[in-house]
Amino acid sequence: MLMCFSASLMGVIVFLRKQSLLGEALSHAAYPGIIAGVMFAGSLSFDEQESWISFFILCGAFCTAWLGIKMIHWLQEKWRVPPDAALCFILSTFFGIGVTATSEVQFSFTPLYRRALSYLYGQAATMTDIHIVLYSCLAFFVLCVVIFFYKELQIMTFDQNYAKSIGIPVKKIDALFFILIILSVVIGARSVGVVLMSAMLIAPAVAARQCSHNLALFFVWSAIFGLFSGFFGNYFSVQFTEILSQISPHARIALPTGPMIVLVATTICILTLLLSPTRGLFIRFCRIAYFQYTSTCENILKSVGRIDPDRSFSLDQIKKTQQISSLYLRWILWHMKRKGWIEQDNSSFFLTQSGKARSAKIIRLHRLWELYLSTYLGVEADRVHRSAEEMEHILTPELEQELSLLLVNPTQDPHHQPIPPP
Amino acid sequence: MFYPLLAISHPYQGKTFWEFLLLFMQRMGRLSIGQLPIHQLASDEIQVLVLVGVALSSALVGTFLVLRRMTMLANSLSHTILIGIVIAYFLTAFSGGTSGDSLPNMYVLLGASLFMGFVTTFLTAFLTKKGRLQEDASTGLVFTSLFALGVILVTVLTRDSHIGIEAVMGNADALHSKDLFWVYVVAIANAFIFILFFKEFNMSTFDEGLTKALGYSPVFFTYLLMAQVSATSITSFRAVGVLLVLACMTGPPLAARLLAKRLHTTLLYAALFGVCCAMIGVAITRHVLTVYDIALSTAGVVSCTILCCYLITLLASSSCFRSKRIN
Repeated sequence: MLMCFSASLMGVIVFLRKQSLLGEALSHAAYPGIIAGVMFAGSLSFDEQESWISFFILCGAFCTAWLGIKMIHWLQEKWRVPPDAALCFILSTFFGIGVTATSEVQFSFTPLYRRALSYLYGQAATMTDIHIVLYSCLAFFVLCVVIFFYKELQIMTFDQNYAKSIGIPVKKIDALFFILIILSVVIGARSVGVVLMSAMLIAPAVAARQCSHNLALFFVWSAIFGLFSGFFGNYFSVQFTEILSQISPHARIALPTGPMIVLVATTICILTLLLSPTRGLFIRFCRIAYFQYTSTCENILKSVGRIDPDRSFSLDQIKKTQQISSLYLRWILWHMKRKGWIEQDNSSFFLTQSGKARSAKIIRLHRLWELYLSTYLGVEADRVHRSAEEMEHILTPELEQELSLLLVNPTQDPHHQPIPPP
Repeated sequence: MFYPLLAISHPYQGKTFWEFLLLFMQRMGRLSIGQLPIHQLASDEIQVLVLVGVALSSALVGTFLVLRRMTMLANSLSHTILIGIVIAYFLTAFSGGTSGDSLPNMYVLLGASLFMGFVTTFLTAFLTKKGRLQEDASTGLVFTSLFALGVILVTVLTRDSHIGIEAVMGNADALHSKDLFWVYVVAIANAFIFILFFKEFNMSTFDEGLTKALGYSPVFFTYLLMAQVSATSITSFRAVGVLLVLACMTGPPLAARLLAKRLHTTLLYAALFGVCCAMIGVAITRHVLTVYDIALSTAGVVSCTILCCYLITLLASSSCFRSKRIN
């Protein structure tokens, strides 16, 4: 849980700097270091002491990840390799080194081989108290640094030049920031595994981006999402492992925690993408649908009111004026009936009093806008209709008042049609 | 990755680096004039031939990927293909076709991987456009989640997380001549597509606007390239694992770019570079096994070789430039 916490904090910075895939490269680059740590611990015969092994693993992972990041920068700046190719190249070749070393470990330190493999997909089940202390210290360190350097980070992520001009040591803080990313990746590798570590950098940050427009809130949300997915991922993986072992007791499957955590995180992410109040896809879709619905209502009212507000009309007549399916039309008419704008008499409809008022208002808006366009913006009278078709749904009562003030309570539009009074 | 010491009369047993290359050349010569039937190939030879095929096709595909800056999409494809593999296993298990642990039908595997490649590309584009995400974030999100799903499915369905690991790392020692056939089919298909559409690929890589203006769809070529990437990785995942494919796709083109200025020559150099690395990698593996008695993973060694060769090329080309400048 704590591991995902620090990773999601760093994820915010990475996300804002548009370097999301750096985490991917880093976590893969850390793999040979993990193996090297295992080998080193094995060669010094620390087989028993859990804490020493994890210490060596952390050190090794840190070193190779650092080397990887340096090489990526070197390739990009010195040799003008495109950034994505540099990332991809480093991650695959470093991972290749890790794979080679793994086969070596398998050969010479067989008891440690399983542990090396568990870092691929993460395995939290074998953790002890020492791990918890160690990792929570690291996570706390990351948190402290982020809080302490919050202002500098904020300025630097959004405006590097400004940061330089007010005398912030950009290079140093950049280095610090990379160290933090590496730390969080290394911390997370134990429970999420190197292959999927990058998801923990990306998913909480993306989810948090949907919820907030403020950097501080952004950090908080991202940390919450990270904690949440870490907790439930672990919980589900333990739960499912139990269920599976009940179904088939002989198989001894241990569901890796990493994929589970990642799945939880992505689910959160997808939910926020769909449902977030301002940017959510689903919400946006609803808003569009609602706008379409009100426009259609208003269009129907307008088309009836323009001809003759007192005449009754049938379904087919409306269908000619509106380009929508008949099912949707029926549904809209039913809704309008419920709102009390129209009434039905057998198969013909007619406007009620409030329907007439509404219809008059829309026609008024339409014609006001036409008049405004032609008098103030100098648009020719035969071109104003289309714009007014759209604006009539958007104009607010305040705008309507302003317009009528500006046009001095007009009574005729550019087509010499009467403008209904408010 | 335990090396099976197959036959007693294994021709490469106890060979060091140079001896290996020499013997390999001799035996290939005999193969080409028909003195050596195909089913008598030693496992090392199959490895070399498969890796050469993989290196060829991935160098071709990779050159365009690097030039189009789409290598990260290839990276995500190589991850999501795991789901394709799972689906393929699932389908064959239900149709009851193959027995037990043997590979599912190659057609099914190819189809499933193409499908997954398409889904990945589409989802990434969808999230970028509709979800208003940055491109890198959406790429990372899509492939990690799909890969996580794949790993879980593999673990639950097969009761064994070994396949997942093997798909990532590859197991070059379990190859047989059937793989050889498919690798070369894909390599030839790739080469054929590039020869056929060379002009269009060239154009859509460097000038999207012109492509559109001339009435070709750049999106179509993107998807075609992605299809090629997934085909390449699916045929090679058993041999070398998806990650080495990635190394083969990025390393050789990057090295070739240092040496070449034109697209033709870049492609040529990349292919050559990949082939050399594959051969050297296998030779080193054999050498280490002979001399130090340590069985290394071939896939890992090949990607290390690619890294080393790239660095050497870097240094060589930089010293070349320097001497030119002095002159």
